[in-house]
Amino acid sequence: MIVLPADTRETILERAREGDPDEICGVLGGEYEPDGKSRVHSQYPTENVAETPRTRYEIDPEEQLAIFERLENRGEEIVGFYHSHPRGPPRPSATDEAQATWPDRSYVIVSLEPLVIGSWRWRTESDGQFERERVGGD
Amino acid sequence: MHVTVDVKGEDTYELELEAVAGAAADGEATGDPADATPTYADLLREVELSPHEVSVLVDGRPVPEDQPVESDHVTVLRLIKGG
Repeated sequence: MIVLPADTRETILERAREGDPDEICGVLGGEYEPDGKSRVHSQYPTENVAETPRTRYEIDPEEQLAIFERLENRGEEIVGFYHSHPRGPPRPSATDEAQATWPDRSYVIVSLEPLVIGSWRWRTESDGQFERERVGGD
Repeated sequence: MHVTVDVKGEDTYELELEAVAGAAADGEATGDPADATPTYADLLREVELSPHEVSVLVDGRPVPEDQPVESDHVTVLRLIKGG
């Protein structure tokens, strides 16, 4: 399960709407539990540096490292990441599955059409698959 | 040379470059172990990661994985990307 405070959820949703038709992305910091309840304390917006941002997202490694250092300096852990699907689907795409690399972290997806915010953990026990998790409020 | 490999969000590994060089040479069909210069890709192999899933950074800047290791502190980041 992931606890996503209402104000964070609203901020991410607003970014997704403003970024439309491009995908937006960012990092989630807070308390990380691989199998239990992770709690998001902060969200760190990042630039989407993918070549085709309408259908792909990618976070630049240098920006990623700078955010991780900010997050760690605040006593937070890497809870996971978020990105938007301006035209759906309201779940991980085939590309998301092919390019996921962070075992047990949360991948939050904001779908605008239909309007759904969901979260999945990337599990690597077999070949790797997304496992849906419950999204709770504060 | 002693190299610290910091896999962000996971573990930190302490490696001896000479041991990595030996392992890299053992894995190749040809080549003299004495001439083997470990690359960042060799370091990744030691910590069981693939260049396809990570970026390697030195002093906060990405370095090509096929370059020989010249730094004693390496940061490894799993990529964040998808569709």
